[in-house]
Amino acid sequence: MKAIFLRILSLPETFLSCLIITLFALISQLDPSFLQWEVQRSLSSHIWELAIIAIPMTLIILTAGIDLSVGSIMSLSAITAGMLFQAGSSMPLACGAALLTGTIGGFLNGFFIARMRVHPLIITLATMATYRGIAEGISQAKPVSGFPAGFTRLGQDEWLNLPFAAWLFLIMFVSVFWVIHRRALGLHVYAIGNNDTASRFSGIHVDRILIGLYTFSGFASALAALLFVARRNTAKADIGMGIELGVITAVVIGGVSIFGGRGTLVGTCLGLLLIHETREFVSWHWNRDEFILIVLGLLLIVSVVFQKLLRHKQNSS
Amino acid sequence: MRDPDMPSLNIQNLSKSYGGTHALRNVSLKIHAGDIHALCGENGAGKSTLIKILSGVETPDQGLVQWNGSHLSLGKVHEMESKGIVAVHQEPVVFPDLNIVDNLYAGRELSSGMGTWLNTASMKQQTRDILDSLGEDLPLNQPVGEMALAQRQMVSIARALFNQCRILILDEPTASLTTRESDALFKTVISLKKQGVGILYVSHRLEEVFQLAEWISVLRDGILVSTQSSKDLSEDALIQQMVGRKVAYPSRQQPVNTDITKNKPVLELKALSRTPAYDDIHLKIHAGEILGMSGLVGAGRSEIARAIFGIDEFDTGEILFNGKKFQNHSIRKAIDLGIAMVPEDRQRQGLALPLSVETNLLLPSLNAFQGMTGLDRSQMRSISGQLISKLGIKTGSPDNPASALSGGNQQKIVLGKWIHQNPSLFILDEPTRGVDVGAKSEVHRMIIELAKQGSAVLLISSELPEILSLSDRILVIAKGHVSGELAREEANQETLLKLSLPEEAKQSP
Amino acid sequence: MNHTDDTRKTSGWLRMITYLLRHRAIGLFLFIGLLTTVVSWINPAFLSGQNLRDIAVQAAPICIISCGVMLVLVAGEIDISVGSMMGVLAASMGIMVSASRAQLPPHVAIALTLLIGIGMGLFNGLLVAYVGVPSIIVTLGMLTALRGLTEIIMNGAWITDLPDEIRFLGTGTILSIPLSLWTTACVLAVTIWLIHRTPIGRRIYATGSNPQAAQLAGLSIKSIKLFVFAWTGLLTAVATLVSVPQLSVVDSGIGIGTELLVVTCVVVGGTSVNGGVGTLSGVLCGVALMTMISTVLIFLKLGEHATYWSRAIQGLFILGAILADHWISNHKK
Repeated sequence: MKAIFLRILSLPETFLSCLIITLFALISQLDPSFLQWEVQRSLSSHIWELAIIAIPMTLIILTAGIDLSVGSIMSLSAITAGMLFQAGSSMPLACGAALLTGTIGGFLNGFFIARMRVHPLIITLATMATYRGIAEGISQAKPVSGFPAGFTRLGQDEWLNLPFAAWLFLIMFVSVFWVIHRRALGLHVYAIGNNDTASRFSGIHVDRILIGLYTFSGFASALAALLFVARRNTAKADIGMGIELGVITAVVIGGVSIFGGRGTLVGTCLGLLLIHETREFVSWHWNRDEFILIVLGLLLIVSVVFQKLLRHKQNSS
Repeated sequence: MRDPDMPSLNIQNLSKSYGGTHALRNVSLKIHAGDIHALCGENGAGKSTLIKILSGVETPDQGLVQWNGSHLSLGKVHEMESKGIVAVHQEPVVFPDLNIVDNLYAGRELSSGMGTWLNTASMKQQTRDILDSLGEDLPLNQPVGEMALAQRQMVSIARALFNQCRILILDEPTASLTTRESDALFKTVISLKKQGVGILYVSHRLEEVFQLAEWISVLRDGILVSTQSSKDLSEDALIQQMVGRKVAYPSRQQPVNTDITKNKPVLELKALSRTPAYDDIHLKIHAGEILGMSGLVGAGRSEIARAIFGIDEFDTGEILFNGKKFQNHSIRKAIDLGIAMVPEDRQRQGLALPLSVETNLLLPSLNAFQGMTGLDRSQMRSISGQLISKLGIKTGSPDNPASALSGGNQQKIVLGKWIHQNPSLFILDEPTRGVDVGAKSEVHRMIIELAKQGSAVLLISSELPEILSLSDRILVIAKGHVSGELAREEANQETLLKLSLPEEAKQSP
Repeated sequence: MNHTDDTRKTSGWLRMITYLLRHRAIGLFLFIGLLTTVVSWINPAFLSGQNLRDIAVQAAPICIISCGVMLVLVAGEIDISVGSMMGVLAASMGIMVSASRAQLPPHVAIALTLLIGIGMGLFNGLLVAYVGVPSIIVTLGMLTALRGLTEIIMNGAWITDLPDEIRFLGTGTILSIPLSLWTTACVLAVTIWLIHRTPIGRRIYATGSNPQAAQLAGLSIKSIKLFVFAWTGLLTAVATLVSVPQLSVVDSGIGIGTELLVVTCVVVGGTSVNGGVGTLSGVLCGVALMTMISTVLIFLKLGEHATYWSRAIQGLFILGAILADHWISNHKK
């Protein structure tokens, strides 16, 4: 009984939930108006792009990988859509091409990583520069705007009180959650992260799964790029700059081990929530954006140290 | 001949056990400076445990070690090194990216000005002197990782000599050397002996042992059987002492009605080769047959197994499975054909340790539990429950992590994850390594049961009694070649050991 | 009897290419030579003293930081916080010397800047070596947090009134060679000395090459890791001191993206992310090549639009370097 209690207590999700509850308690003391639904909803418009990319990133980090190129894939996809639209193609075609571009970009990452066994950090560092470079090259760093209303409505319209992007995230979360917990693939992902040799020896298609995950990551980044373009009604090569750091921070704060094999999608969501609320509240209450970065950076380090200590405690008891 | 005042390494009553397995029991041994003392024994007799204790890597459960009359505090590499007791391991421990000089001096660089200026010239000069004294001429600037194994071995020995070495432990030093290189090594060993260094020489090669050593000690099942002068011992008597144990192994009853070699062959290898691991391997395994594969560690047995299971490519030859050529060689293909493998390194290749017992048991077959609505958890639970009770895996719950189980129970998981798929061929690479006595005989019973149900079994084991009691036929591999094939009746430990010892004639071109 | 030689049945060409790829510095050097020849043939102004000097000055801070980050990678860790460290250092130095702010004497400000650099490096190193947090996490956290700190220090303002003594660090010349190049030369000399002439340098390589063997050889892995991070912090401070005074304005955006450029240069220069391997000459060539690429596009007279492709070309170079590595390891056997 005590062991179970200790185990629940040492879950990163428990630790995070406590942090989030503390945060909300603090907020309700300092500034209850922040917690109104309308405020929350208006502040949430840009979190969904991050959240959509965080889902495949969670799976990739679970396999002991990393994808630094997500922001650059966003840029390349957005520019693909923008340039095609400018060249007179119809918007659905442009969107389709953007999604395809992102998917191919992700596939190339996966191919290099799985087939050539190069460290994912290095491969995605290289494609991070390459993809954004191509976007800058073909767009000449000029913005494209004036997208048709039918498209920009995707970024602004709501359905049942939630923005379209939120629904996309929810659908993606539920289906990936189902795959991870109800399909063999989910256990395969954890097995690869824990021991990829033993996984290969058990006949798991490690290479195919890795290529699939990085391809998924490319697709999700392209989707996030389209949502971004629709929301801002502009496509430029600098979009998604630095988003990889935000995504990785959320996933790692969510308790996913950077060495793979440990962590959950729920943890990632809690990590996203914590980061988002902290950031928005600091900006809302003090109106000082510069504190946000410090808080987030320290939050990342402190939460990893804490999780390490908790695990250590659990193992020794 | 021996000066009684010479210092000596005095080992008294050392015992060490790993999770119920006694690796060493009350071993006492005395090694005098200026002597070459050979240590012989089969794989798993406890030699490597003794070496690990003497080099400070492991701490014994009991016993003490004295150097020149004073006690040594055990379990510390530094303590041993500072007393001049140094081991050269079979797999040389080196820094692969550094050159020889840096390898020799890592951690004890010669420098002046409070560590601000390395004396590279004198380090190079001393390195050259040491290599000269070893009769070696190696490039000083090449990364050691790019050198041949034999040269890395020399670097390892040179590093040991550096420590004002008083007792040098050599673990299978000639395992990867050519005859010429071995001769150079022997000269070095003899000249070290003349300088008053005591040498504990661990080797499988009996002719070397007789050529070099004054004293021969034999370890068997963790017990020191004898220490004798090499002059009083014949090679046959030595082999007798190494293998002569009586442990209860299951006696395998031959199938009553038929001769199993009349069954169709499940697996056939034709002239399978891969340089330098193995060459021209032919073998056949029939349904219901247990084929034992015997030989020394490093003879190429595991590499052959890996090729059959689709892990590694091979150069030439072919693999026939149920009479058909095994094409699109891959692990998944092998599993789909009905091949199962228990790899030699359980923790690194067999299990995802932090995952649950159930997940590990069902890992190769998870796809089979997928329905329209997802994984059939209740069916998974019932299958894993059946496996756990059938194999007698001792775990509180199928949800416990595999890392929490003992070695024997972990091995049952690795075996169990294949069983419910009824493979027609099992490849078992050292299935009882590091497994305690009780679990060992359970694993043996399982192997016999598999064969009885019609599976073919390729059993790789370094433990001769295990091979002898379980196999229908025995194939001996030495230096990547089949050096003998014996029917169960004609095999005994002596013949197997003789066949597996590499002959000098074979290795020098 | 030397059986390593007769097993290698590769053609002469293949062997030469493999040799060049393995000795990364030589291969890169030849490539830079080829690139220079082609560009200067199209546009001789490329080889003018002024242009070469500009390239060198532009490369100097990257080169200085790369000397540190290379050793971090050699020790088997990574540091992606250098860009934000530069931001903090630039902001604090600016405030310390600005005529309208603290007005500290220049030499005091320089000493303090170096100390702050070492301090931040030590903080990274302590968390990695003694607390055991993975270096990618620590430096990712610091990358974010230190950028925030920079913004707090600057508080939305910017500094333009750097005193002449500080300006001299960036723009001054001695013997008509920019001071920043002298500084770079000193850093290179010290790094060469550190790597080849001190025990600690050799131990950094040993630690990265085989941590277990390093432990058996009695090396203190923790203090070695602490050292490489602190060293990187110090060099980042030096790079800030030579580069920031060249700018007309100190704001909170200094150093953004530097970490990626530095890691790129170090990896293109043949340093292994798995530790143990890396040469200063390779890293130097990596820095030279990466700095040249953006300039070369201008000199090739491809028109203004070509300059926007420089990042893509840099990226392709990194990919090329990775593919080359892969090719070598496949041909080794």
